[in-house]
Amino acid sequence: MSHDDHHAVVIPAPGSEFVPHTVAHHFSTPVQEFQAGKLGFWLFLATEILLFGGLFAAYFYFHELFPQTFRVGGEQLDWRLGALNTSVLLLSSWTMAMGVRSAQTSQKTKTIVYLILTVLGAVGFMVIKFIEYRAKNEHGLICFGHLFDGYDMASGQVSWFKDYHGVMANVPHGHMFFAIYLTMTAIHGLHVIIGAIAILYVLRGTAMGRYHAGYYLPVDLVGLYWHLVDLIWIFLFPLLYLVP
Amino acid sequence: MSDKTQSDHAQGDGHAHGELDMGHTHVSSSAMFMTVLIALLFLTFITVAVAQFDFGSANMLIAMGIASVKASLVIAFFMHLKWDTAVNKLMFLSSFLFLSLLFIFTLADQFTRRLDHELHTTPSEPVDGAWVQPAKSDGPH
Amino acid sequence: MTTNTPAIDVQKSPAAAPRENYLNCSKGFKSWALTLDHKRIGLMYLVGVSIAFLAGGLFALLVRLHLWEPEGMLFTNIEYNQIFTLHGAFMVFLFVIPAIPGSLGNVVMPLMVGAKDVALPKLNLLSFYLWLAGAVLAVLAIVLGGFDTGWTFYAPYSLYTDRAIVTIGMAIFILGFSSIFTGLNFIVTVHKLRAPGMTWFRMPLFVWAIYATAILQVLATPVLGITVLLVAFERLYNIGIFDPRLGGDPVLFEHFFWFYSHPAVYIMVLPAFGIISELVSVHSRKPLFGYKLIAFSSIAIAVISFLVWGHHMFTSGQSTYAMFAFSFLTFFVAIPTAIKEFSWVATVWKGSVALNSPMLYTLAFLIIFAIGGLTGVILGALNVDLHLHDTYFVVAHFHYVMMGSIALAFFAGLHHWWPKMFGVMYNELQAKIACATIFIGFNLTFLPQFVMGSRGMPRRYATYVPEYVPYHQASTIGAVILGAGVALMVFYLLASLLIRKKAKENQWGGVTLDWIAPTPPPHLNFDEEPKVVHEVYDYSTLDYDSMQRDC
Repeated sequence: MSHDDHHAVVIPAPGSEFVPHTVAHHFSTPVQEFQAGKLGFWLFLATEILLFGGLFAAYFYFHELFPQTFRVGGEQLDWRLGALNTSVLLLSSWTMAMGVRSAQTSQKTKTIVYLILTVLGAVGFMVIKFIEYRAKNEHGLICFGHLFDGYDMASGQVSWFKDYHGVMANVPHGHMFFAIYLTMTAIHGLHVIIGAIAILYVLRGTAMGRYHAGYYLPVDLVGLYWHLVDLIWIFLFPLLYLVP
Repeated sequence: MSDKTQSDHAQGDGHAHGELDMGHTHVSSSAMFMTVLIALLFLTFITVAVAQFDFGSANMLIAMGIASVKASLVIAFFMHLKWDTAVNKLMFLSSFLFLSLLFIFTLADQFTRRLDHELHTTPSEPVDGAWVQPAKSDGPH
Repeated sequence: MTTNTPAIDVQKSPAAAPRENYLNCSKGFKSWALTLDHKRIGLMYLVGVSIAFLAGGLFALLVRLHLWEPEGMLFTNIEYNQIFTLHGAFMVFLFVIPAIPGSLGNVVMPLMVGAKDVALPKLNLLSFYLWLAGAVLAVLAIVLGGFDTGWTFYAPYSLYTDRAIVTIGMAIFILGFSSIFTGLNFIVTVHKLRAPGMTWFRMPLFVWAIYATAILQVLATPVLGITVLLVAFERLYNIGIFDPRLGGDPVLFEHFFWFYSHPAVYIMVLPAFGIISELVSVHSRKPLFGYKLIAFSSIAIAVISFLVWGHHMFTSGQSTYAMFAFSFLTFFVAIPTAIKEFSWVATVWKGSVALNSPMLYTLAFLIIFAIGGLTGVILGALNVDLHLHDTYFVVAHFHYVMMGSIALAFFAGLHHWWPKMFGVMYNELQAKIACATIFIGFNLTFLPQFVMGSRGMPRRYATYVPEYVPYHQASTIGAVILGAGVALMVFYLLASLLIRKKAKENQWGGVTLDWIAPTPPPHLNFDEEPKVVHEVYDYSTLDYDSMQRDC
């Protein structure tokens, strides 16, 4: 496609450790490319809000129907680990914001440092989550080994909810709290992992000098995604660990 | 329709922004980010502290209220929406609006089902002209 | 058609090669499979959704043939459940929802706003491949046991039935993201890539329609995504939120499902409205009556559509108060819809009407949609719906809007933009015959269904009592006629690509940017970036010469 060349808009590199950025052929100006990318990504974040929102709607619905189940269920979760995870994510949001700012001001080394710290935050979050899940497994509240084994029609007992200590014995449908807990935190965890991978991607690009004051859009967008992940947890934490 | 171009409020590290940054982005200050982080951690502490007390049905509202404040800080400052275009604000925030429709109607359905019991009555005598199941004493069918 | 030879016409020289356009500018499988050109992507969608439409239509014919006899002629009851589910699922998820935005929207909308492409071309290609992946998974689901829940997958049956529900659920999840990304792309394109001088109120109404659709695609589809995900999780590890045996509430499933699926019907119909707006103007050579009304009504429909979903659930066990609210709100959506219908009729009134094939489909739409829309209002009345719910009256209503209106508008748009897309014209006489056949066949199929539905014939029943035989048989005959009309349409459209009778540069005399662009358009749509100085639908700017000369 030879007729693109004379349309190409190139943003110069602000130093030898950076590379120039060529604006995509269908955009007329760099500003247009930047704004289009941002708008598109905010729209994508809107869809994520609605996706998770459905899960929250289910949570509220059953919280109203079975308040005892949710109260007792919530007491089985360790709020200290939850609070720790919240702090880890908030800190990683801060490092991410600082990382975007560093890219925006063409500070390559600082950007790399902040991005690495953010990924470490993600890893820390998943480690704490793993510890929590393991505790649930040990108490028989979520037996991961039996997760897909169906349920016994006669007794209505779900095969992965064994409740070794009988903590949910006096509330109706005890397993439901943990099913919702697992679904919401697992989908959230999946987004943490995806976010971490995305951060590694822009980390690589940063190391190659692709992002600078003239073009830092990918870092910005990955940052927005990471903040969304934090945002969802800000609501998940009190609902699951504290309100009951 | 032209989009607002925003003047550059570059602060913090003294770095040349001349021909590169297209004059359309606001650079937040490190101090601002740190302030927001401290506020977020503090609010987390408040959330946990408040949860030690039982306010009954207000528990949910208080927790969600504090979470909403934290969320607003993340959205406005970390996600930079405060300095972003009106269109982006509208697009993102409208998702919460429509989500609230899902919440409102499904929860309202559940709440008002209890009121339904007052509406439903079972007639004790068959009404004239209405289709009625023949009573068992009517003889062989 | 005149035979005037224009004074200057470089294309007429016999040795001249065809002008470079998006179809011939590059060749080979990879140039299509990895294309970033919205017009090529639109064509790939067109092929895909057309195949899906024909498959869905085949399932429909099987349904109608089976129902020729009261005891059912072809299938066991269980098999019948699978067949009508396949018809519904294929049509809804693989055709009606993606077709117009994916095919005509992709090809025409960027041209209409004067852009070189959509804002995010790679995302556009991804959207297409997601559609394809969803289609493949849907076929795989058939192989793995099919699904017999109806396209609505109601819990608890969808949780218990021993079928490939997780597979088709994943197909729908992927198709949902195809839809979301398309909508996202179109919103950004309309906001950021309009040509200089194209203010919001100089945009053609097809763009407004696509924009309103895109908002729905972005805001509503994620809830479908989470719903199918939750059904899959229920089947996989028994969460219990929809399963009454585990404390769940099947009505909650319906709330989630219809929160998307009601806006979804507007995702389906708004693009059709956009096509009709364009066609009534061009083929009456008259500006749209009530341009701003039509534009705002598209947005109004999009917003109101989020408030009415409970009208699909009047017999499901919601609270009575919720039902009052939903019924009351449902009436409001009729208002902007009626505004459109009246504005279109007023546009045609005293216009210079050309009764060509696109216009015939358009006129058919105006008649059929009036019936479809009005019967929707009837169903919105709570007290009436309690009797008509799950009868053939509902089936007839939604086929009048989905097949008779949306599909017909799709055909109309296809005929209207065929010369622009391919530079060739189809056989006009065959087109008129096909249109008449489709109109007659369609009404014969579905008009009896209103009657038998109001007389109690339930939907989704494999057998029925003998009193409904005349209605079912009339309906089946209609379906065969409808199928014949569609077959003829497919035939002459494909034949036109082989016969290659050249179209005119501006076949119908349109004045929007899609008709200003060359026919067929070059790779980057315009040789120079267009600058918009006139109001939209200003026919005083029409270049009559372009209507005479071949493209």
